[in-house]
Amino acid sequence: MYIYLPIAEQPIHSLAILGVGTFLGLIMGLVGVGGGFLLTPILMFLGIPPPVAVASVANQLVGPSVSGVLSHWKRSNVDFKMGSVLLVGGVVGSSIGVILFNFLGRVGQLDFVIKVSYVIFLSLIGGLMLYESSRLIFRKRKGRVSRGKLHQHNWLHGLPFKTRFRKSKLYISILLPILIGVIVGILAAIMGIGGGFIIVPAMIYLLGMPTSLVVGTSLFQIIFIAANTTILQASQNQTVDIVLATILLFGSVIGVQIGARFSNILKGEYLRLILSMIIILVSLKLLSDLVTVPSDLFSITISR
Amino acid sequence: MKHLLFYLFLISLTLSIPFEAKTENEIVADLSQGNVEISTNFLGAKILLFGAYDGKKGDDIIVVVTGPKGLVTIQKKEKIFGMWINTKKVNYINTPKYFSISSNRPIDEILDKKTQKLSQIGLNNLNVRIQPGTTIVDDKTWREALTRNMIKSKLWSINENSVTLNKNVLFRSYLRLPSNVVVGEFDVKILHYRNGELISKEKNTINVSKSGFSAEIYKIADNYSTLYGIFAVLLAVLIGWGTSLIFRRF
Repeated sequence: MYIYLPIAEQPIHSLAILGVGTFLGLIMGLVGVGGGFLLTPILMFLGIPPPVAVASVANQLVGPSVSGVLSHWKRSNVDFKMGSVLLVGGVVGSSIGVILFNFLGRVGQLDFVIKVSYVIFLSLIGGLMLYESSRLIFRKRKGRVSRGKLHQHNWLHGLPFKTRFRKSKLYISILLPILIGVIVGILAAIMGIGGGFIIVPAMIYLLGMPTSLVVGTSLFQIIFIAANTTILQASQNQTVDIVLATILLFGSVIGVQIGARFSNILKGEYLRLILSMIIILVSLKLLSDLVTVPSDLFSITISR
Repeated sequence: MKHLLFYLFLISLTLSIPFEAKTENEIVADLSQGNVEISTNFLGAKILLFGAYDGKKGDDIIVVVTGPKGLVTIQKKEKIFGMWINTKKVNYINTPKYFSISSNRPIDEILDKKTQKLSQIGLNNLNVRIQPGTTIVDDKTWREALTRNMIKSKLWSINENSVTLNKNVLFRSYLRLPSNVVVGEFDVKILHYRNGELISKEKNTINVSKSGFSAEIYKIADNYSTLYGIFAVLLAVLIGWGTSLIFRRF
């Protein structure tokens, strides 16, 4: 059934959107990473204008983050103090991001910046994931698994405003998590992602948080970043398509549950290997769109 | 005195022509649908235009539909660091966001180029203007890009041979509005030509508006944008929370 998207102002097959949502949910459930960074490019391939895709994905992101936090909270895997500090930075960052988004739209470079950011980040994540998963597969074949250092001290621990985070068993400067929050917030607003793939490694390697708390805590602050982004995008740029976001949301919640059921059967590193290849393919597609000679050098925008 | 009589004769002649034209050549037209509503399942519209005209063998009918006019921006891409980036832009004002010409045979056979230009029949003859203050060198290239892209987005079209004439009395034609059509008033002009001369015309309007669920959402998103954003977030929270409640049982 075709459905006319009120903000994107175009008809699209509702099953296509539902399918995309389910596919992304499946990845989330199977691999444990949010598929937000794949969702926006896929929507762009389907013909949704990039600004609408980005803002609506931020909106749909709120849903799985809420249900994710609830399940992590039950297992007491959320450091609310750390999460709150991160989200202070995140709210500031996403506000900056939305202003930047608006500015780029006015000078006509928004689509380009969104696509370039995606090419950079997708090839980065895809490459890292490919490296990590293939190395793990290779090592397991050989039968040895190494373990890294538990905790490292570096110059970052010399920053002022030190605060104690009991849950994470950390005594670090408050500036670091705020800065991480700001960066993730800006990216969230421009790319329509929760930034899980940036914040999770940052929490582990830069902050030195216990791995068990990382996912729950990052999801906690993603709720607020995504919510702030959605409200600001709606009020500043009118790019949030609630119909698009809701259909995606229904698809993704179903997908997550299916994926979670099967995640015990399939091996994580093999899944990540496949996912990394999908990510690399998507980034190559985006890159080729940017570097190949366009069929028409001119494009039009019709004001409403 | 002779001259004066001659002039009087001329005046009476010119006065009588439009009078006669009006009584002799009439054209009436109607639309199958005067209102088009963009609702949740809108995929474009196909409207039947039909009517009768006082014709002779060899007469022609041209239908011109002009949508609301406004600003259309054209951007040009250039290669920078191996990537194609929008670098230049030109704003066209007074540009119809929908324009179509339908006729019973190729327009070049009906009207000569000069008449086409004068009566703005033809996509390159539209009276669009570059926004004052913009300086461009190759304005012809930009103007062609405008036409080409408007055709590509199905908002401008020329449909020769799409008006069907019947026994020099009846005509009908299908007008197609694409799914990306803008809202507003669309002028429909029906022009009756004989040997390349306009002998009668008729006007009609199509009203395109948004309706139903998607119209409401669009209005709310436009007028109460912050509240709309808050609502969008709350809905997502509710769905997220709801699913974790439902799936907890399994």
